[in-house]
Amino acid sequence: MQPEDVQRALGPRLGTRLSAVEAFPGTAGRVRFLREAALDVFRAVHDDLGFLHLSLVGGVDWVDHREVFYVVWSDDAKQYLLLSTDVPANDAHVESATAVWPSANWHERETWELVDIGFDHHPDLRHLLMPDGYVFHPLLRSFKLHEPEELEVKSRHV
Amino acid sequence: MSEMWINMGPQHPMTHGLWNLRVRIDGEMIRDVDPEVGYLHRGIEKISEDRHYNEVITLMDRTCYVAGLAWEHLYILGAEKALHIEPPERAEYLRVLSEEFQRIGSHVMWFAAFVQDLGLTSPFLYGMRDRDLVLDLFQSYTGARLTYEYMRVGGVRNDLPPGFTDQARKVLDWLLARFQDYDQLTLGSDIFHKRCDNLGVLKARDCVAHGVTGPMLRSAGVKRDLRKDRPYSVYGQVDFDVAVADGADVTGRYLVRMEELRQSVRILKQVLDWLDRHPGPVMAEQLPRWLGAPYAPQGREGYLLKRQYPKGVGFSAIEEPHGEAQAYVVNEGGEHPYRVKFRSPIFANLAAARQYLVGYHVADIPPILGSVDVCVGEVDR
Repeated sequence: MQPEDVQRALGPRLGTRLSAVEAFPGTAGRVRFLREAALDVFRAVHDDLGFLHLSLVGGVDWVDHREVFYVVWSDDAKQYLLLSTDVPANDAHVESATAVWPSANWHERETWELVDIGFDHHPDLRHLLMPDGYVFHPLLRSFKLHEPEELEVKSRHV
Repeated sequence: MSEMWINMGPQHPMTHGLWNLRVRIDGEMIRDVDPEVGYLHRGIEKISEDRHYNEVITLMDRTCYVAGLAWEHLYILGAEKALHIEPPERAEYLRVLSEEFQRIGSHVMWFAAFVQDLGLTSPFLYGMRDRDLVLDLFQSYTGARLTYEYMRVGGVRNDLPPGFTDQARKVLDWLLARFQDYDQLTLGSDIFHKRCDNLGVLKARDCVAHGVTGPMLRSAGVKRDLRKDRPYSVYGQVDFDVAVADGADVTGRYLVRMEELRQSVRILKQVLDWLDRHPGPVMAEQLPRWLGAPYAPQGREGYLLKRQYPKGVGFSAIEEPHGEAQAYVVNEGGEHPYRVKFRSPIFANLAAARQYLVGYHVADIPPILGSVDVCVGEVDR
């Protein structure tokens, strides 16, 4: 599968909400879309293109905005496909992919707590790696290593 | 009877590491589970942003402490794509050699821990003894037994010592005979079958929906192995079969791992033959000096690097002993990666715990989670 094939399959359904399908080494391409189209993109990629397996959800902090990326795999094409969307830093949230791929659950929890990107309609958005009540988001560029943080950590179940 | 939540962990013989399995039980029945991880979170992805490309390798050994070389391989492939560097072919063969020996080390370690969970103590000692032979080989060419720091951006640190390939062949022949012993000790025992058959069943459709990969997926009959489906390094040039089973249960996972051990031996024999016949360089030429020497950042060459290597994002995926691992390395120019993201296979396999634990008995938890092969280091990173 080539980026053109992905463009042909997704283009009519998404129109201008599909920003671009770029070539990306080692994968079938990278689909860049507007976040309003998130759920439609997930459904189209899952149902029409047959990428049934979501491997990874992650976030990148580009300071002025944040990027959410998804890696999906198709057993028929034996290829990966990358999906990516930008969200503004002061309003960072996107629709959850758990409705289409249940495997997104923990990946989104992790992205939420480390990169501070919210996931709408996530069934269980709570801390995963960090303790409850942890207010920092370590994978933001503004979080500096070597600078101490002060925090009172409460036990979760006592 | 009333239901209640109990904690199995963070200190529990079943957990093999520091994590907590919260279980809602009704008498002896499991009604719900909620794995709780993060006790071993060291912020490896964050620390990577503050390190040179080669310095991240030391963190990779500590990501999964029984499969360090596989994680080094994963990261190196991603970093090389981000930096647009091509390693020499011999280095690729040495990486495959390392990864396959690591797979044997990891699976034998899993075997030892898993049978211990079932209460079979002797096979545990067999497994630990045989893993030591693999560690001896690692020590002879990397100098370390657990944290190897062997691979480098652009190749590997050093070539094999003289006589290594003959010694490695001897070890492989010995191990092949031992794998038969393993099967006799476990599959020949009624107790093993009573504790493992039809337990922790996770069918192929659920595996795919919940992102489960590796031996767990292959035990459900899905023939999926990145070494075959999307060959990286030189896996396209070696001959091997993908191990599958059809039980989708604990026994199936055991069978898959045992077959993978034999296939690893098959791959390694071909790789050793190739290495004997093709001497050559093991590092790419014309790298900036500090990419070859991780501890000496050189200011001027840092600037050179910015000019030489265009920005880029590297994505790599390998079939790690536990399943499918991925790395996403963002290079924005400069000496440090801008962002590194890793996908740990066990992270996903553990996230699906509710699917394969609910409905079984409390006493079934150790064998089921034993068959998952949890390594907390790579779940928490």
